[in-house]
This record gives sequence, C-alpha cells and structure tokens, in this order.
Amino acid sequence: MKRDQWLAVIVTIGLMFGSAGMAADTIPVGVPLAMTGAYTGSGDDYFKGIKMAIDELNAAGGLLGKQLEIIRYDSKEFAPEVVMQGADYLCGQKKVASVHAGWAGWGQDVRAYGKYEVPFFADDGSQAAVDVYKENPEQYSNIFQLTDVGIEQAKSMFRVLMALPYEYPNKKAVIINTDDSWGVEVGDTLEASFKEKGWQVAKRETVPYGTNEWGAILTRIRRIKPALIHIEIPSAQENITFFRQFIKKPTPSIISLGWGITPREVVENLGTAADGIVGEMPTGLPGPKAPNAAGQAWIDKFVGLYKHQIPAGSWATYTGVMAWANAVKNVGDAYNFKAVNKYLKENGYEGHQGLIKWDADNVLRAQAAAPVVHYQVQGGELMAIYTDPPTKAYQDSTFIVPRWIK
Amino acid sequence: MSWQRMAAIMGVVYGIVAILPLFVGDIRFIMQILIICLIWAVVASCWDVIMGFAGIFSFGQVAFFVIGAYTSGIFAVSWQVPAVLAILMAGLFTAGMGVLVGLPCLKLAGPYVALVTFGVHMTLMPLLRGDIGIALGSGGSVGILTIPPITLFGYAFSSANIIPTFYLTLALAVTCSVVILVVINSYWGTAFLALKDSEEFAVSLGISAFKYKLMVFALTSFLTGVVGAYYGHYIGMLSTRMLELDLFVTLMVMLVVGGIGKFPGAILGAFITVTVNELLAPLGSYRAVTMGALVVILVLLLPNGVMGFWLRRSKAGATST
Repeated sequence: MKRDQWLAVIVTIGLMFGSAGMAADTIPVGVPLAMTGAYTGSGDDYFKGIKMAIDELNAAGGLLGKQLEIIRYDSKEFAPEVVMQGADYLCGQKKVASVHAGWAGWGQDVRAYGKYEVPFFADDGSQAAVDVYKENPEQYSNIFQLTDVGIEQAKSMFRVLMALPYEYPNKKAVIINTDDSWGVEVGDTLEASFKEKGWQVAKRETVPYGTNEWGAILTRIRRIKPALIHIEIPSAQENITFFRQFIKKPTPSIISLGWGITPREVVENLGTAADGIVGEMPTGLPGPKAPNAAGQAWIDKFVGLYKHQIPAGSWATYTGVMAWANAVKNVGDAYNFKAVNKYLKENGYEGHQGLIKWDADNVLRAQAAAPVVHYQVQGGELMAIYTDPPTKAYQDSTFIVPRWIK
Repeated sequence: MSWQRMAAIMGVVYGIVAILPLFVGDIRFIMQILIICLIWAVVASCWDVIMGFAGIFSFGQVAFFVIGAYTSGIFAVSWQVPAVLAILMAGLFTAGMGVLVGLPCLKLAGPYVALVTFGVHMTLMPLLRGDIGIALGSGGSVGILTIPPITLFGYAFSSANIIPTFYLTLALAVTCSVVILVVINSYWGTAFLALKDSEEFAVSLGISAFKYKLMVFALTSFLTGVVGAYYGHYIGMLSTRMLELDLFVTLMVMLVVGGIGKFPGAILGAFITVTVNELLAPLGSYRAVTMGALVVILVLLLPNGVMGFWLRRSKAGATST
C-alpha cells in the first residue's frame, strides 16, 4: 500500500475512534432525536425546548460550575439497533450525565437506556414503554417519561370533547388513527369511551403514515354525517391533506385532530382555514396566554427565539432538562446517577405551573402542574380552551363552533 | 475473479475485523457497530447473489430479514423454543417464503420482479401490525420487546457480553460468506451467471431456469432469515420500523459501494458504508444529504463499486508488468 493510502487509513481510524478519549471540562448531555427521516419535525420541536433550557443554564453559569454540552445522536426512524446504538454511544462512549429525548422508541428505549443508570427522559406516551418499565422498576429506575400514556391522553380528549359547550346533532363518531402503537392506543380508547357513552362509532379506520388521499374515506364520512371526526395521526401532512379534502364538501362535524394539531406545519399551512379544529398537547403550558407571569415570560422568550407559538414537546423537554438540573444541584454530583434518579422520583420539580411529580411507574401523568392542554385553532393560531385534569375551560377562553357547521 | 482471490479478500477483511476488539473492545458503541456491520455484510452479500450474480431484481431482502427475525422471535417468545433452534427454524421458514415469492417471479421480467418483491416488503408492515400479526405473536405495532438472547452451554450471548457476542457474530458472518463463496464458485454459481447473461442460451444447454432461480431464492432467503433471526436475539427486541426505507436504502448503498455482482464487494461495502455514515454523524440533518452526494459521486467515478475499481487496478497492474 502506498504511503498516502496508509495515511488515509490512519486518518479515518483516528477520526472514528479519536473522540472517545477526549477529556471534558464540561458536562455532556445526550440528546437522541430524529434528525433525518419521517420524524425530523417532532425531533426539531423537542430540541427547541432542550436547547433553550441548556442555553439558559449555561448563561446562568452552568451546572455545578461547569458548562453543559449537548451531544446529539440521530435516532433516524427508531429501528431497534439504532435505538440501542444511541444508548451505547451516549451513555457508554460519551459518558453523558443525562439523556433528553422526545419520541425515543416506545419501549425499545426503556430496554436500551435501562442498561445504564444515566437519567433518561423520553416522551414515548406509550403504554408499551410503561409495561417494559413495570417488568423491572429497579433496573429501569433511570427512565422518566415526560408525558402520560396514549390511553390516558385519549380519555382526556374524550372528556373535553364531551365537555365542549356544543350540542352534538347526533351520536355518531368516526375515528381514524395510524397503525403504530400510539394511534392504536388512542383509537381503541376513544372507541371504547364513545361506546360506553352510548355513541355509535360509525367508522373506525386504521391507516399507515403517508396516507394523503382521503377520497374513499371521505365518501363514507359524507354518507354517515358524523357529529364528530377524530383523527389521530401524529404527523402534519396527513392532517393537512385530510382537512383540505374534507373542507371541499364538509359535513357538520367537529374535527378533532388529537395530538396531530400540534406540529406547527398544521396551523402554518392551513392558517385561518383551520379555525374551529380542536386537538390536544400533553404536558403542556397553555398559550398563547399563559396561566401565570412565569409561564408567560417563558412563552414570550420561546416565541422571541423561534418566531412561533409552542409546538408539542418543547415545554415538556425544557421542563425535563430543568428538573434534572435541579436534581443535580441538590445532589451535588451530576454523575451520582442513583442519587439524581432518587431525588427526581421523590421530589419532582417546581415548574412554571407548580410542583410536577412522576408516579410509581416514573410517568409524568397529566396533572395540574403539567396538564393536557386542549386547543382550538382560532384566527389561524392554537388557542388553549381547556386544561385537564381537572377538566375545565381555560381562563376566559371561548369555544367557537366551526364555520362549516354553521 | 478466481475463488482464491475472493477467499483472500474475505480473509483479509474478516481477519482485520477479528483483531479490532484488541484495540476497541472496551468501546461498546464501536463493538455494536462492528456487530451490526457483520450482520449487514451477510444481508448485502445475499442480495448481491440474487441481484448481482443471478440477475434477479429482487427488492425483498429486507422483508426476508424481517421475516426471519420475527419468526425466530415469535418461536422463542410465544413457544419458548430455544434460540438456536428458533434461528434454524426461522431460516427454513424464510427459505420457504423465499420460494413462495420466487414462484410468481419465474414468469416475470426484471422490473416486474422488483415490483412483486418490493410489494412483499410493503405488505409486511401492515401484516405484522394488524390483527393477523397480533394473532401470530408479532406484538402488533409495539413489536416484540422480550426476545431472549442466544444461549450456548449455559452462556448467554447478548449485548451485555459484547466481545464473545462479537466473535459469535463473526463466526456466523464468516460461515454465511463461505457458503456464498462456495455456491457462486460451484456449478450452481455458473448456472446463475449463465441464466443472468442469456437465459435462452443457458436453457438450451440444459440449465433449468425454474430450478436454479428457485434455488437462489431459497438459499439467499435462508441465509438472510438466519441472520435476521440472529439480529432479533442479539438486539432483544423487534419492531416493524426495520421496514422503513432507511435500512432498505442503506443496504442498497452497501451493494453499490461494494460493487454489484462483485462478491465479496458487498462485505467491503457494508463496512465502508457504515463507517462513512458514522463519521458523518456530526453533520446531523445534513448527513443524509452528504451521504447521498457521496454515493452519487462514487457511482459516477466508480460505476462498479470499490471492488470493481480494485479489480481494474490490479488487472492494469498485471498487464503493465
């Protein structure tokens, strides 16, 4: 082999392995989020909250006198080996002091990060992830879920849909959900809730991501004329295309997009045409008018930084980082993982809306200080109209009957 | 290329890989990547045999990988079949599925075979996530999260014991590669090439297109199924997210980088692609774009992949001397 070829090999190996042994005078924080692929949008929204929190901590002098350093990992589309490699890269190789994720693998992440003791924050919103945790709570004591599971979020959606100051013309509902664990979890719970309340679920459709042609389903819907259509697709384009095709010949139905209302692309693309659509955001800070001055300051700062209102996940991940930092400050050592995890579990964190606490399964259940916020699009923007629990109208908000019903 | 040269290249590549734990054995992340490289090397090689040597435009390799993984996972979790036996059963089942998919492909020309096999890939996800999958034990959209590791003589090979697991994976990859090497240098391999170059002429010489095309489907599906099953037991969990296009495209890039029909180029392609992909990780969201651009440049500069380039260089060197 020629000399330059040897050099190329040495440089490549150096690049590959060189970073492993770097000494750090900072505290590394792992952030495994989708940076490429279908989940990039939600990954960006989660990252905004994480970055805002880390920047704030660093601006205030860092944590225990050390600056925090974000180490990102591309979770791509959450294939099992990618989730596992992410855990080994961040916790094993980079020796991060905590890991802050959003969607992270819906149970796969619990196994992958549960091998380490590093505090791991995820927004799986999945009963499957909780079931894995329950198998061995001691081993998985470092896993902290930032939002309630899909089943509970669906119950919250149902409570608010039934509480709306609106008289449904009939008791027929249509439910459309994705074929992943989130969509099925929410769809099943809503279907059971509607039936229990004496409603007829006239159509239940499970669709794959990427469904953008809604002609056949809309034909059925137009025949059924349901009082309520709930779509649970946590991705923007499917919700946008559904609504655009629906509104060409609408039925007098309340349109509920569930979590799908929160990706910014939905309101930014549809604008005022979306006025009237309802949906929800778990572990949310109601906006654009916050419940208190601290919350308002946070929203104003967020909007100033990113030039738009809060998407799903940003406040949750921000709060997760701050909760971890608070635990580290109290423990006095970022690498005493057991003590940090114990502190988080026992003490929770005093957030913008009060004290948040994780439950026995390390899930941040919907609670007054981290409620499920229910929105309606009004004037082309998300407006908080309800919070849950307890289910109550938000401040002086008003629910507007959608124009296609009038 | 002579089989001796193929064997020598394989020996050098796997030999280098075999000594890497001496230097990076304590870096779990890199050991993980090496194990995954070995797994992809076998899958890409199988794809190369069916597409590069037999000339069948099959796009079903990822589907066969997932079928193998799920079959073994279901056997192990739902029926408590020991992992080693479950892997073998998964290989046989996948081979059967390969033959089933191959049968309609016998009557079809290139692009239509691609459509049928990619159709299998596309239908697998809703099948595994739906009621049928759940009834079979696929775990639906959640997947299977409790697959036991391979246990041999009381020793568990899992990500917790990374170095022994690495060598077990290496042994599996070498075994599969040797099988491929033997097959493509046997009468079967000659028959595959003959059918690829001129099916009519090959048939006139007495080569049965029916037999050999089904054989190549069965063989590549079996090996891919076995490796898929091994992957499931190694990772310990499975989800239908493996069927997203990410893995499909990555494997195709491995083939292109290594050189289609240039075995053991696919093995080299697997290691090069994964290494470059990891080196580009700091680019974040620009990684995919950069990787895509690199592949385009590579295809333009080295249309026959790294192996084609190396063969051309060595041939030119031999001529000049």
